Parts: sequence; structure tokens; C-alpha cells
Amino acid sequence: MMAAVGAPEVISQLESAAKVLMAPPSMVSTEQRQHAEHIFLSFRKSKSPFAICKHILETSKVDYVLFQAATAIMEAVVREWILLEKSSIESLRTFLLTYVLQRPNLQKYVREQILLAVAVIVKRGSLDKSINCKSIFHEVSQLISSGNPTVQTLACSILTALLSEFSSSSKTSNIGLSMEFHGSCKRVFQEDDLRQIFMLTMEVLQEFSRRENLNAQMSCVFQRYLALANQVLSWNFLPPNLGRHYIAMFEATQNVMLKPTESWRETLLDHRVMDLFFTVHRKIREDSDMAQDSLQCLAQLASMHGPIFPDENAQVTYLAHLVEGLLSMINGIEIEDSEAVGISSIISNLISTFPRSVLTALPNELFASFINCLTLLTCSFGRSAALEEVLDKDDMVYMEAYDKLLESWLTLVQEDEHFPRGCFVQPAVQVFNSYIQCHLAAPDGTRNLTANGVASHEEEEINELQEDDRELFSDQLASIGMLGRIAADHCIPLLTGLLEDRVTRLHGQLQRHQQHLMASADPGTVERKVLDDLYEDIHWLILVSGYLLADDPQGETPLIPSEVMEYSIKHSTEVDINTTLQLLGSPGEKATSIPGCNRTDSVIRLLSAVLRTSEVESRATRASLTELLSPQMGKDIVWFLRRWAKTYLLVDEKLYSQISIPLSTAFGADTEGAQWIVGYLLEKVINNLSVWSSESELANDTVELLVTLVEKRERANIVVQCENWWNLAKQFASRSPPLHMLSSTVQRTLMKALVLGGFAHMDSDTKQQYWAEVLHPLQQRFLNLINQENFAQICQEEAVKQEIVATLEALCGIAEATQIDNVASLFSFLMDFLSSCIGLMEVYRNSPETVNLIIEVFVEVAHKQICYLGETKSMKLYEVCLTLLQVYSKNNLGRKRLDVAAEEDQYQDLLLIMELLTNLLSKEFIDFSDTDEVFRGQEQSSGAGRPVSAADVVLYGVNIVLPLMSQDLLKFPSLCNQYYKLITFICEIFPEKIPQLPEELFKSLMCSLELGMTSMSSEISQLCLEALSPLAEQCAKTQEKDTPLFIATRHFLKLVFDMLVLQKHNTEMTVAAGEALYTLVCLHQVEYSELVETLLSNQRDAVIYQRLADAFNSLTASSTPPTMDRKQKVAFLKSLEEFVANVGGLLCVK
Amino acid sequence: MADPDLDFTSGDAGASTTYPMQCSALRKNGFVVLKGRPCKIVEMSTSKTGKHGHAKVHMVGIDIFTNKKYEDICPSTHNMDVPNIKRNDYQLVDISEGFLSLMMDNGDVREDLRVPEGDLGKEIESKFAASEEMLVTVLSAMGEESAVAVKPMTK
Repeated sequence: MMAAVGAPEVISQLESAAKVLMAPPSMVSTEQRQHAEHIFLSFRKSKSPFAICKHILETSKVDYVLFQAATAIMEAVVREWILLEKSSIESLRTFLLTYVLQRPNLQKYVREQILLAVAVIVKRGSLDKSINCKSIFHEVSQLISSGNPTVQTLACSILTALLSEFSSSSKTSNIGLSMEFHGSCKRVFQEDDLRQIFMLTMEVLQEFSRRENLNAQMSCVFQRYLALANQVLSWNFLPPNLGRHYIAMFEATQNVMLKPTESWRETLLDHRVMDLFFTVHRKIREDSDMAQDSLQCLAQLASMHGPIFPDENAQVTYLAHLVEGLLSMINGIEIEDSEAVGISSIISNLISTFPRSVLTALPNELFASFINCLTLLTCSFGRSAALEEVLDKDDMVYMEAYDKLLESWLTLVQEDEHFPRGCFVQPAVQVFNSYIQCHLAAPDGTRNLTANGVASHEEEEINELQEDDRELFSDQLASIGMLGRIAADHCIPLLTGLLEDRVTRLHGQLQRHQQHLMASADPGTVERKVLDDLYEDIHWLILVSGYLLADDPQGETPLIPSEVMEYSIKHSTEVDINTTLQLLGSPGEKATSIPGCNRTDSVIRLLSAVLRTSEVESRATRASLTELLSPQMGKDIVWFLRRWAKTYLLVDEKLYSQISIPLSTAFGADTEGAQWIVGYLLEKVINNLSVWSSESELANDTVELLVTLVEKRERANIVVQCENWWNLAKQFASRSPPLHMLSSTVQRTLMKALVLGGFAHMDSDTKQQYWAEVLHPLQQRFLNLINQENFAQICQEEAVKQEIVATLEALCGIAEATQIDNVASLFSFLMDFLSSCIGLMEVYRNSPETVNLIIEVFVEVAHKQICYLGETKSMKLYEVCLTLLQVYSKNNLGRKRLDVAAEEDQYQDLLLIMELLTNLLSKEFIDFSDTDEVFRGQEQSSGAGRPVSAADVVLYGVNIVLPLMSQDLLKFPSLCNQYYKLITFICEIFPEKIPQLPEELFKSLMCSLELGMTSMSSEISQLCLEALSPLAEQCAKTQEKDTPLFIATRHFLKLVFDMLVLQKHNTEMTVAAGEALYTLVCLHQVEYSELVETLLSNQRDAVIYQRLADAFNSLTASSTPPTMDRKQKVAFLKSLEEFVANVGGLLCVK
Repeated sequence: MADPDLDFTSGDAGASTTYPMQCSALRKNGFVVLKGRPCKIVEMSTSKTGKHGHAKVHMVGIDIFTNKKYEDICPSTHNMDVPNIKRNDYQLVDISEGFLSLMMDNGDVREDLRVPEGDLGKEIESKFAASEEMLVTVLSAMGEESAVAVKPMTK
């Protein structure tokens, strides 16, 4: 009652503060606003505000003040739970509920906040045996049976508040409860209360679904209960034994599948539940908002799995009922736009949830109708998705639905051996056909046609950030490709026919253009529409063919898909091999003009259709029609050829149980076919690189095809036999046009490919000659240049600068080509350059762009090679890197620049340097070096094994760059992250090095840690906390007092203590901070006790004092005296969570 | 700006001040002439009109002398002019009437460059007043010259 004294003043103060906050921005100043916010903040923190809050709720007319009063009650109840009488908590809850009931006209947000307070009280009390909050369900069910819509809405709000409070972990840190507490509450709740809520909800839905006419108010209540049902069915059931660390992870999952516990069996396996939702959906499906909820409920039911099913039979019965319901719901209705996503979710959930054995156990007819329905829906959604694209709609509901269904198909057919043989062939044909149709132009297809058949064609600006279709639609294409394999008999010839036709038309069209150009010589009059339509057709046909014929698994050798292999084998008896080879070898001719072209292998014919496209493109470039061509089509072609080559070129018979003769004859090892195609691809690459230097993406795809050709030894062996390869190498080495016009990344990759090719099998003379053509010119030109006497004078001349830049780019490319079997020779080659590069750092100290590139060379070499290097070689690399850093530091310390780019330049340099140091450090945990193997005969045992540690080098490096790292530079997030990652690494891996650091470096390192802990993002803060434990352990090991590190850790003890005990912090951080605190406490027990004493002595309130003292006692009870013992540490961390939950909030009270 | 009589960089007298380069081969952090001014490229992106169109390059550059921003867009096959850039360090020997006296490698002293405006100029003047020895970096391109950086002398 004390607090009620002066209540009118408090209320009027709060009310005027609310007025300020609610005023339009122009009416009040920022200071006024902040002041008003502060008033509310301190009000909410006030001690035992219950009486005054009640008073406010009963008297104030200002909604915002009511809202704040409810919040204050909620926060205070949790904060002071232990201090409160249970009966007063109970009466508080009753008061709040009655309050809301008696005021039906409360603002919605005030009402919700009061109900949230009720829910929080119920939750906080649910594990407290001394208080019973269960009566709330009884009260709610009475409200529901009242039949009064307003009261029923209120009842729904109460249930919703309870549900969100018990379900969501994001709320926990707000009221200061531990993960474990949250988990236990949730488990108790989901066994009993949640089911009660569900039953109440079902009753309401049943009631409403029976009624004939619903007025607006009733249908609103209906909608709220439907949403509530959806919330229950989307409940993320917590399994019985889940450790506290997993709870957070578990709670974060989205798209929860329904996995109820066994106790729900009777409730959810009752068919009437599912039937009710089908009935409800039928009733409300025209209301798009409600339909989404009802379909979502059904989708959740379709995802049901786990212990709720006693056996497989129960699953089959359940699924059969679901599928029957679904079919009868869909059949005979015109699907609304708003239903598409929901219906496809139901299907995709049931296909991904129920095991194949359950699907196949469905009655045959039912299964067949289901597949039939799925096929029709897929085709129909696909067509609607295409329409959405034409209309450029923002909300692509059909595209989303189509994606889901295609994904379901992929799931189904990937395990098609479980299903009756061939049962998916006809559906696959239909889905495949409709996809192709939607992507081809009229008359064959419907691309860009609106619903009434009008063509729309507009040219939009496309920027480089937009993904290529092959990535953007990769999921769709993977499904369509898979379906194409299932129905290979239909799909492969279809694609071949369409592609051959388009290529013939493209050829004709280009020829007409050429004649036209020769006649009028005015390219401006060329009509692009016909060409663009052909390009777009070819684009999609090539993408689908690529996905059908081959996979692109990262890192493994892709195999020819078994369906494609079987298809080729099945028809191999009807195939004439020679005609097939002739067809393959004559990309310049029309396929149909070759006699007997119908007796060729279809898989090879599809490839050769792409080669024909490629040939038309190449010929057009030779006829100077490049401007008419589509760079996109050029990309498609080389993308396809790369994907194809990885899988089919030099097919390795050992990897297959059966092999197609046409495929092995055409592309096997030691075949003329393989040689021919390598030569053809090489020619294509060379042509592209000279014609398309201005299209960097196409040039990039092209050079990646070249890398694919040489990165495997077997393929490279054939490549280096081609004269064209040598020409390419010579041309690149001579830096003559057109290759030097390529962008720098393409040039690097080209260099990489040329180096990789050098490790192919060649006789030693040839090999020597190859290196003499490829690498030696680089070295020679470079040495000639930098050894000129007047190099310092001419170094700024453009020709010289360009030569230097080209050399540095080439070095990066060479480093990228590093593999375990070539590292020995590449390392020696690159080392010579690295020393010279240091000299260049001096010469070009004023050209930031060159300096940056030089550092990048070092980063690349360290990145690619350090893990393979033995001791002596590593030492060499360390040394040269250190020299680089010294020179960099000397040239940049104290330097001041005028231009706006100065900071950006320095940022880029430092980022690279951090990367270099991290790369060097990585040697400590990734080390493949085996001196005997890799450097046989090269590595001399160097003296008495000097102890080389990357740490020395890296610390020395940090010492050099640290003075350059300004606080401003740390504002670049990527630089900041890289920096803190590096220093945490150092502390974790080499804590023993830290005490030996030079004083200045040590100081700045400790400053960095403190800065990172206190004023950076929580991610950085966590990194710094992780660095503390190893440092403290290091101190404990040496047992030396009064070392700088010992003193520093004492300071950190106070920081971490304050952070954990006094400041509001992120719960995620509790673990990292707790571990740090524990090791620090072990080290500084006396200081810790002092900290606790000081804190306690500041408490004037005897109750709080006692509570705090108890909490501190139990915090260390399990670990007295604290020692660096894992078991004790774990016990401490556990008590710490309780500590934070119990008193964390208390200490923040002012 | 610079008086031709005071041109000491006689080594490349008559040499072109720019050279052409295909647009697609330009790089971020490199240089290009935009609207007749030598610029450092701070942003480069490509786009195309329609899925089957040819690439266009969009460039944002900052004038290396005035720090003004310029933009341009052109087909990636076009050639752009790239300025020849030179940077030299000279020892500062005197400041008089707003002009720097800089000692060249051959011992000659040039006195044709103004003290730069803004912070850098102030820094040079205050350090000079404190008789600190320093090197001044002079940037030259397309017939224009300016002091752009300063660094204390080591050794």
C-alpha cells in the first residue's frame, strides 16, 4: 500500500509522458521523447509496483499507460517471484482476468498485454508446486460455452496468449528464464494443457461448421479459433530427452512437422478430426485468409509422424483416409489462387513424411488416382506459374506451389524401385511436356502468352546480380531432368527434335540477316524479335538437356545417370555405330541430312544437337555476325559442354555395372571420338576467348570449361596432344591480342588451366618445351624488366605497369593451380617471384592498386600451398611474408593521404593481410606436408630441426599491422570479423606465446580483447570471451603471479563478472561468458570473493541481500574450492543458469 | 595548370597522356577518363537489355584531383581512355607563399606546386613548422599535378 502514496502524481506524470510519446514527431523534441521513454523505463523497474499498477488500471483512461502498467506487473512478478506470497500472485492473476472480462471495450493491444501477463504468471507458476494455476482452463471453457461471441473471442485470446508464451523460446530471455526451465514448462504443457486447448478448439470449430449462416461477427470468431487450431497443430513438440543446448537449436527450426507424443494418439488418430478440417475448408474456401489456415491445418496433419502411430497399419489407414479426403476435396472444384500453395503443401508434406512402404500399401486404385491428380495439378500449376511470370506478378503463388510439387516428384521418383514398375512414366511424360510447352515460344509452346493468347514481349534491364536461369531454377530443372530420365524414351528424342529444328531455323535466320546486311549495311534495321525467340527456346532446351543428361555433384566424379545408360543400352541393337560417329563428327551439317540418321544413338544425338548449336554460333562469329548472337546462348552452350564433359568424356567402364557400347565407343579412353571431341571443345574455347572477351560471364564459363578439360590427368593427356593447346599457351605467354583483353579473373583462370595442363603425361623433352613456352617467358620478361638499370625511372610508364600487373595476375593463377602432385615445382617457381615482389613493394609504394595486387599474390600462395610445405619450405614462406609486412608497414606508418579512396584502399590491404596471417596460421591445424613424398630429394634435412611455429610468424605479423588498425577501420564489419577471428585463434592455439609478447603488442592485444568484448557485436563479443579461458588456464599453469597476463586476467574477471551479473545480456552468451568466468574465478578466488562482497554490501534490503547471498553460495557450492576440472566447470555452468534465472533480473532493479 | 616551362619530367615529353583499353578489361581500383577527367574507378557493374542482350558496363569514378564523382555507361566492347598516372615522392625543403619547395632526385628544386587545400595541407604546414622532415607524394596525370600524400622521412 506504500506505493499507492502519491499515486495521483505518478499517474499524471505517466499520462503526460504518454502524451509526449503519442504526439506526432513534429510536435515534440527528441529530448522530450527520450525523457518520456525514460519515465516509463524506470516505472517498469520500480520495486513491487503491484498496488500502483492496479490503481492505474482501475482509474487511468490513457490506453498507453494501461499497457505500461500491464507490462510493469508482468516484469515485476517474474523479478520478485520468490519474494511474493503465493496467494497474492493468485489474486493478481484473478484480478487481471476479471479486469479484462469486465471491460470488453479495452483497446486490443492493452488487452493482449494483460493476457500476456496472465500467461507469464501461469507459466512461471507451472513448475512451482506451491501454486496452482490450472483453474484457468476451467474458466476458459465456461467462457466458450457462454455462446457470446465477444466472450468467446476473449477466451480465444487467453488460449492464444498461453500457447505463444509456452511455445516460444524467444520470450525466455525477456523474462529471464533459463532454457532448461523453458523446456520443462513446455514438456508439461504439451502433455496435458495443450491437448485441452486443442479439444476446446475442436468443439468450437465443430459448432460453427454445423451452422448454416454465419454473420460477420461469428465468422470472425470462427477464424480466430481456426488460427488457434493451426497454432496447436504447428506445435514444435519437444522430445522427452533433449539436452539444453539442443533446445535452442530445436526451437529455431522452421516449417515444423507434426510429431506429437504418444499421449495424443486417441485425439489425433480419430478420423473425425481430419474430417472436420476438410469440412471446415469446404465451408470457408472462398475466404482466402481462412482458407490458408484450414489448408495449413491439413498440411500439418499430412506431416504427422512419430510415436503417435502404434504400427505401420495405423499409418496406412491414416494416410488412406487423408488421400481420400484430399481427392474428394480437389475433384470437381476450380482451385482458387489462394488455395494453390496450401494444397501443394499438403501433398509435399505427405510425400516427404510417409515412408515408401506406407505409400505402396495404399489400395492400388487410390494410389493411381492420387498420382493422376498430382500429375494434373502439377501441369496446371506450371501453366499458371508461367502466366504469373508474363504478368510479372509480385506474389508468385503458383510458382511456389509448382516448386513444391516438382520437389515432391523428385522425392517420389528417386526411390521409384519401391513402386510398381513404370508407374511414373506416363505422369513424367505429361509433366515434362507441359514444362517444355510453357518454355517454348508459340506455335509449339505458350511462352509469354497471356491467358487470352496475346503475346507479350518486353526487354527489361537485367543487372549482373540477377542469377542465371540455370541457378535460379536449378531445383525445378533438377526435377524436370529427373522426370525426363524416367521417361527417357519420350523425352530425349523430343528434346533432340526440338533443338535440331531450332538450330536449323537459327542458321537460316542468321543467313538471311547476313544477306540483308550485305545489301543494306545497316545493322539498325535488323529485327531481333525472331532471333530472340529462337535464342530463348534454345536456352531452355539446352538447360533441360543438361540437367537430364548429367548431374553436377560438387567434388565427386559424376556418373552417367543409370536411366540414361539403360536407355542407350536398350536401343543399342538398333543403332549403327558408324552413322552415330558420323553424326557426331559433322556438327556443321544438318542432322537430318545424314543418311540413316534415325539409326543413331539418341543420347549421342542430343549432345550433337548442342554441338550443332555451337557450330552455328562459331560460324556466325567468323562471319562477323557476333553482334547478332546471344551471349546468353553462348553461356548455355559452354555450361552444357562442361557438365557433359565431366560425366561422359573418357567414360570409365570400371565405374559401371553395364555400359552402353555406343557411349563407350564414342567417348571411351583411347577412342578417336574422344580425341575428336577434345579437339573440338578446345577450338570452341579458343574461339570464344577471342570473340567474347567483352562478355565476362561467358568468357568465365568458357575458361571454366577449359579447366575441366585439364584438371583430370586423363583428359589433360589428350588435351596436350592438340596443336591448338600449344598455340593457346604461346599466344597467352606473348600477351598479344585478343587474350590480353580478357578480364583479370578470366586471365587468372586461363593461367591456372595452362599450368594444370603442364602436368599431363608428356615425354620429358616435350614437357621441357612446354614449360619453356608457358612459364619461362613469364619469368624471363619479368626479370628482364626489373633488372633494367633504369627500372626505378621507367617503372611508372604505362607499358611497364601493365607488364607488372599481368605478371602478378599470372602468379595468382599459377598459385591457384596448386595440387599435391605439383606443389614442389610450383612452389620453387613462385618463391623466386615472391622475393622480387618485395622489391616491387618498394618501387610501387605509391600505387595502392599495385600494392594490393602484390599482397594478393602472397595470400594466394599461402592459401594454396602452405598446407603441403615441409619445415624448410614453410620457413622460407614465413620469412618472405614477414619481410612483405615489414615493408608494407614502413611505407604506410604515418602516411597521410588526401583522396577519398584512401581509407578504402587501406581497408582492402589490411583485409588481405589478415587473410594472409590466417592462412599462415592454418598450417597449425591443416597440414598435409610429408617431406618425403612431396619434396623427394629437394628438402635437405636442415640442421638440427629449428622449431618453426606459425604462431611466431603470425604474432610478429600482428605486431606489424596492429598499429595500422585504427578504430575507424574496425568499423568495416568484414575486417573487424577477420581481425577478431585471428586473435581468438592465436589465444586458443598458442596461449603460451602470449606472455612472451613484447609489451606494446601485449597491451594492444589486451585492449583489443576488451574493446571487442564490451563494444562490438555479440558475435565478436563471444569470440573474445572464448579467448579468455585459454589465457586464464595458461596463467594457472605457470603459477607466476604479477605477470602482465595475470594482472590482465584479473581485470577481465571484473569485466565478465559485471557483464554476467549486472548487465542485461544475450542468453546465447551465457555459456561463453560462464566458461570464461569460471576459469577466471579459479585463478583469482580472492578477487572474486571481494567482488561478491562489494556487491552484497551495496544491498540495503535485507530480503534481497539474503536472496543474493544464497544465490552466490549455491553458485559456487558444487565447485568449492574451484579448480580447473571439467566436471566442476560443468556443474558451475549449470548453477550459473539457475543463478541468472533467479537473481539476474533482481540486480538490474534500480 | 602546370607551366610548360617548369616541366621537369622531360623523360616522356610528347608521350600520350592516355591510352585506350577495352571497357571489359578495366578493373575496380583502376583508372579511366570519364567526362574528360582522370578518375579512379570505385564501382563497376554490368547489365544487359533483355536476356539475350550484350553487356554494358556501368562505371562510377572519382576525379583523382578534385574528388568529384563521375559516372558513365557504355557497351563492354567499346574502348575507353585510361590516363597515364605517375606518382613521385619528393623531399619537402620549404614552403613559401602557399607553394611547396620540393627537392627532386637530381637535386633540383621545384617550386610550382601549391600547398594542397584541407587537412593534408594543414598537416604539411604544421609538420613543416615543427621542422619535421617529410616526403610529399605528387600525383600527375593528363598534364595536371598535385600533392596528394605526405609521409615522415624514415632513416
